[in-house]
Amino acid sequence: MDTLRLEQTDDSPSILLDKESSQFEISGKSLPEDVVDFYQPVLDWLQTYQSEPNPKTEFNFKLIYFNTASSKLILDILMIFEEMVQEGHEILVKWYSIKSDEDMQEAGKEYEEMVDVPFEHIAYEL
Amino acid sequence: MSEEILKALMQLFALITKQDGGIGQKEIDYVNRFLVQQIGVDSAKEYLQLYKETAEEKEPDEEKKPAAEKKPTEEPPRKKLTSVLDSVKVLKLCKQISKTINQRQKMVVLVRILELINAEYNLTEQRLGIVKTVSDIFRISKEEYESIFTFVTSYQPEEFTLENHLVVADSIEKTSPSYRHYQFDGIDTPLFFLRIPSVELYFVKYPGEHEAYLNGHIVNPGVIYLFASGSSLRLHVGQPIYYSDIATHFMADLSLEKITLEADQLSYSFPGGVTGLQNVSFSAHQGNLVGIMGSSGSGKTTLLNTLSGMYRPDDGHVRINNLDLWTDADQLHGVSGFVPQDDLLIEELTVFENLYFSAKFCFKQLSDKEVREKVNATLTNLGLIEKKDLKVGSVMNKTISGGQRKRLNIALELIREPSILFLDEPTSGLSSRDSENVMDLLRELTLKGKLVFVVIHQPSSELYKMFDRVVILDFGGRLVYYGNPVEAVIHFKEVDNQVNAGVGECPICGNAHPEQIFNIIEAQQVDEFGNYTNQRKVNPHTWQEIFVEKTLDDPLSPLKASSSPESPPPVNLNVPGWFRQLINYLRRDIRSKINNMQYLLMILLVSPALALILSYIIRYIADPTSNTYVFRENENIPIYIFMSLIAALFVGLIVSAEEIFKDRKILKREKFLHLSRSSYLLAKIGTLIVISAIQSIAFVLIANQILEIRQMTLPYWLALFSTAVCANLIGLVISSAFNSAVTIYIVIPLVMIPLMVLSGAMFSFEKLNRKITSIDRVPLIAELIPTKWTYEALMVNQFKNNEFEKNFYDYEKRISYNNFKSAYLIPQLEERFNDCIYEFRENGTINTSASALDVLKNEILQWQGAVKDIHFKDSELEPHVFSESTIDKVNAFLSDLKRYYINQFSIANREKERHLGKLMKERRSVYFSMLDKYHNEAIADYVKKIYEKNKLIEYEGRLYQQIDPIFLDPIPSGFLGIRSHFYAPRKYFLGRYYDTFNFNIGFIWFLTLMLYIVLYYDLVGRAIRTKWLKPKP
Repeated sequence: MDTLRLEQTDDSPSILLDKESSQFEISGKSLPEDVVDFYQPVLDWLQTYQSEPNPKTEFNFKLIYFNTASSKLILDILMIFEEMVQEGHEILVKWYSIKSDEDMQEAGKEYEEMVDVPFEHIAYEL
Repeated sequence: MSEEILKALMQLFALITKQDGGIGQKEIDYVNRFLVQQIGVDSAKEYLQLYKETAEEKEPDEEKKPAAEKKPTEEPPRKKLTSVLDSVKVLKLCKQISKTINQRQKMVVLVRILELINAEYNLTEQRLGIVKTVSDIFRISKEEYESIFTFVTSYQPEEFTLENHLVVADSIEKTSPSYRHYQFDGIDTPLFFLRIPSVELYFVKYPGEHEAYLNGHIVNPGVIYLFASGSSLRLHVGQPIYYSDIATHFMADLSLEKITLEADQLSYSFPGGVTGLQNVSFSAHQGNLVGIMGSSGSGKTTLLNTLSGMYRPDDGHVRINNLDLWTDADQLHGVSGFVPQDDLLIEELTVFENLYFSAKFCFKQLSDKEVREKVNATLTNLGLIEKKDLKVGSVMNKTISGGQRKRLNIALELIREPSILFLDEPTSGLSSRDSENVMDLLRELTLKGKLVFVVIHQPSSELYKMFDRVVILDFGGRLVYYGNPVEAVIHFKEVDNQVNAGVGECPICGNAHPEQIFNIIEAQQVDEFGNYTNQRKVNPHTWQEIFVEKTLDDPLSPLKASSSPESPPPVNLNVPGWFRQLINYLRRDIRSKINNMQYLLMILLVSPALALILSYIIRYIADPTSNTYVFRENENIPIYIFMSLIAALFVGLIVSAEEIFKDRKILKREKFLHLSRSSYLLAKIGTLIVISAIQSIAFVLIANQILEIRQMTLPYWLALFSTAVCANLIGLVISSAFNSAVTIYIVIPLVMIPLMVLSGAMFSFEKLNRKITSIDRVPLIAELIPTKWTYEALMVNQFKNNEFEKNFYDYEKRISYNNFKSAYLIPQLEERFNDCIYEFRENGTINTSASALDVLKNEILQWQGAVKDIHFKDSELEPHVFSESTIDKVNAFLSDLKRYYINQFSIANREKERHLGKLMKERRSVYFSMLDKYHNEAIADYVKKIYEKNKLIEYEGRLYQQIDPIFLDPIPSGFLGIRSHFYAPRKYFLGRYYDTFNFNIGFIWFLTLMLYIVLYYDLVGRAIRTKWLKPKP
């Protein structure tokens, strides 16, 4: 499976999806002009991955900011994980946030409530 | 709306409006108004508080928190950003809302959100970003979002350029406008309409200054209202705008066929003289859903039947596209469809089969595969596809729900997409959910450009408001209102001078109460003690006048047809030819029988069971010391023949007696489609014939085997089978003539008993009431009894044509003939003649013995020329010419004759002896075994009438033979005279003699044919209906 790698820009996050090395991460800011366009490759990649996943998947969200439109796409990603969990795969979402950014921490918790996927909340100092 | 949803909505509203500058007063006002509209003033406060709190509490919080402030400073963005937490909260709320409300409600929520943020024209990117996401989560398409957004934010006609916008205005600027418009006279300020096609919702916005009322409620300028089905918008001038106007205008692009139906001064009286309709006039056109309402007995169904062409109006016309329903019937055949209140489903068939067989009658041009596809498509459309292989069962024994049943009933008509559909109480007996489903289905049809009439009794407010127009009838079939449903409430309240007359529906819940109308119409006068009297305040006639007056000077009155196209509406009905109908009916009948295992088993087992019981019981061995059954000695064979015929008759009657009765409702519909009655009947008869054939062969094989009736299978089967088929026809006649199952089963013994009594087996025909007997033949009434024909056929055949008797019958016939003449007839004549001679010689005249002489004369004239050289003239044997020479002449004649017959008798006897001797010499034992096996003494006794005391009787100057009927050929009474005495060996018809068995079987089929004619024209049913049971008004 090809690795998906997108570099960070002013308004979009950096994305790394690598099955071989088991690295999955979205980091940075997410407020792209057209959210759906931006995230479509990510969703496509994940759907392919869903059919033949690694035994264990740890997915890192290291976001500093995302807008409302992005929040829906993040949920869409989480929904794919939920399906995978139901299919019996092992998934762990690692939700990183800056210690002082309570909003981001709470947002992570809200997401955790919305989907049936194991979360790990990690607050880090800058 | 549930508490949970309302809370979620408030939070959602708050999260959106708190962005970019926080909530403003107008926004609070808007939310307040929204709440008041949803739940009323009292509860609104609580939720408004929740709204305010959610919007404000966080703001100061966030200011305190460094994180919130840090965010914009740390990443200095050019625009303000929504906090990630708000975004996720919005997401969560939307998911929550999305799960509990339907798509239509989601649309309304979206409209409300946009309206909310538009309240202060604060349409920032942030806020819209959130709204767009909400719309995405609600799965609202981009196009619809755009048209809603533009609709909410625009105020000038030029801005409403999208496809789903409509501007309604009085006059449009000269230059052809870039927007869709609808010219409506008398409107000062343009009105804007929005259509959301995916869920068929309409919204209206009225920016004008003047007063306007939506369903009787005041309209705030610039506010967006849901323009629900059945709504009307009244401006301070001009005609109200109705939902159907707007809906059809949007649909106009679909180039719908034009259909108008005009009722013009319809009057109808029932045969008994009771008035059904009086001067009913109105018109409706394509896209209308018309409700026909009124109290019980006000003529709703009569109106529907008259409109659909079931009843012919006494006066007035029904015109469809300017064609008269009756005089131009050819062109209008198949235009309309009729769904009666009754269930039209065949219980034994599955959902699919019911629709399939019905469709087969409508689409001659389609192949079987295409019909199946069409049926499947229709079932899918109506949400019945998963139930397609379930048997529909009876109304009591439910396998599918009432709503599904009704939808399937409607599907029977729907599948051919008639332009006009009539439904009689389609919602009666359904739950409100099912009723709504059915009405939604009808609504959808009208949106496709059909015209639908619905008789409805006590609709709920929701259903009531779905109608575009309602016809309200009062007693005596008088039209007291026609028009918009909510307006109807206003009309009657106004006439009744009620306080809030202008309000058609409840301001809080939006309900319009049709029962208010009937309360007003039927309000009773109060006497001085405050008790209600039987007198109505306003009688039907006055109500009619009030309404006519109101609409008289209205040029746009809905009572008159505006313009109608001249060509008939499209017809999607292509009834197959007679033969294909027959095949289809046969397939349907057979399928419905095969599907009913219990029935099938019963009809296959009943005859063998009866045969077994009957034959086992009567297998009688005469010799008490023997265990060997001897057919010859079984005295029960005649009764067996009789009972087997009765069994055939009874079973034949029972299997057919409900056949047509249970189809009567379906038949009514099939008559509407002009299907062939003969195809229907022949298919029924065909199925029954097969059943009867199987039943009778099973019976004969078993019973004849047990009773050792040899070499007679075919004649017995033919007789039983013919009897059963005749009984089938009688059963069908009964089932087509009577209108309840109970009556039918009461009528069965009424038919059975005479068929038994007059069969000739139970009572001798000579010894019945003098009023009905005939002296030398079977009573006339018995000639119409099928069992008489088959009983006689079997008895005669069993005696005459069995393997033993057929060797001797001809001899015995001659012996009997000559013996009767010489031993009984001539001695009787001599005795009578002696009386005459005695009186003549004593008194010189013939006086007391005149009748004896008369008999003598009549009989002797029969033999005219029989004895050589002696001839009598007619006048010779009269009393006044009686002389000694007459005595000599007659004596000579009689003794000659007697000698002749004695001679013939001896010859016949001798010949028989010779024949017998030959047989005995050949194989003596064979003779006796044949006698035991084939000859039955009881039968011989019956057909020879050996126990008859009167060997001959005198009647009206003639002597009639009473014994040996089996050896006596009938004397033809004319060329066509088929009547004969009972057990005659041959029958005379058209100058020839026929074997009794063949003739009788032929005759019973002739009777069957006559019964078919009676059945085809339903003569019995008609006679009963015209004589006794006039249809009730």
